[in-house]
Amino acid sequence: MLVDKLTAQGATGLSITSESDIVACRKVIRDLTTQLGFGMTDVTRIVTSVSELARNVYVHAKVGEMRWNSMRSPGKIGIEIIFEDKGPGIADINQALEPGFSTAKSMGMGLPGVKKLMDELEIVSVDGKGTLVKVKKWAKVK
Amino acid sequence: MFLKTLSVVKIKNVLLVTVPDDPSDKMVYELQEQVLRSLEKHRSTGVILDISLVNVMDSFFARTIAETTQMVSLMSGMTVVAGMQPNVAITATELGLTLGTAFSALDVDQAFEILNKALS
Repeated sequence: MLVDKLTAQGATGLSITSESDIVACRKVIRDLTTQLGFGMTDVTRIVTSVSELARNVYVHAKVGEMRWNSMRSPGKIGIEIIFEDKGPGIADINQALEPGFSTAKSMGMGLPGVKKLMDELEIVSVDGKGTLVKVKKWAKVK
Repeated sequence: MFLKTLSVVKIKNVLLVTVPDDPSDKMVYELQEQVLRSLEKHRSTGVILDISLVNVMDSFFARTIAETTQMVSLMSGMTVVAGMQPNVAITATELGLTLGTAFSALDVDQAFEILNKALS
């Protein structure tokens, strides 16, 4: 599995520099969340969010990075995924979270959709300097 | 079963398109072009998009499917999307995605039945 290979190398991140890295991001997070014990539907929700966010990095900033942290406590598992780029930034974050708003001729479902699929979404963006998007998802386990 | 490339097969007047489990954006773009070119070449009247292997559908993929359906329709064809996995359907709905005017079927068999009825 890709995530095992990366973990063995001590990596907790993946750079996004080409379109094929979107697939790599999905693969890593699919492996990781499955291993952690997330249910199939949650895995799909998380991987779909990763796909949207990794594509945002590639489309708007061309280059960026995805980092992850997994969390495990008795009865509870969690994953935190961070996307960071030095792209143009988001001028108006509230507007970007409105369904249907898009600067990239897409459907504008990406960010508002991610907000629905994940438990936590945090966006820090400086106009002209870059964007950091942090998402989290939790699940109860036996 | 793991499929790495897109498969487009002509069966009578229908194009059966099988999408691999985790298609790249490039492959999704190619799907659109390949379907339309094959439609013209084979003069097919129906398209079945078998997405039973697909385990993640984001807004880009859904938009391309919806657009392709519209293009197929402009070329006088009908599109049926077959075999969406339950997890994918749940996530797509939560995301607010739809497949436009495409018909849907549980599997390829059912998709053929829908097309046969509609096109006969």
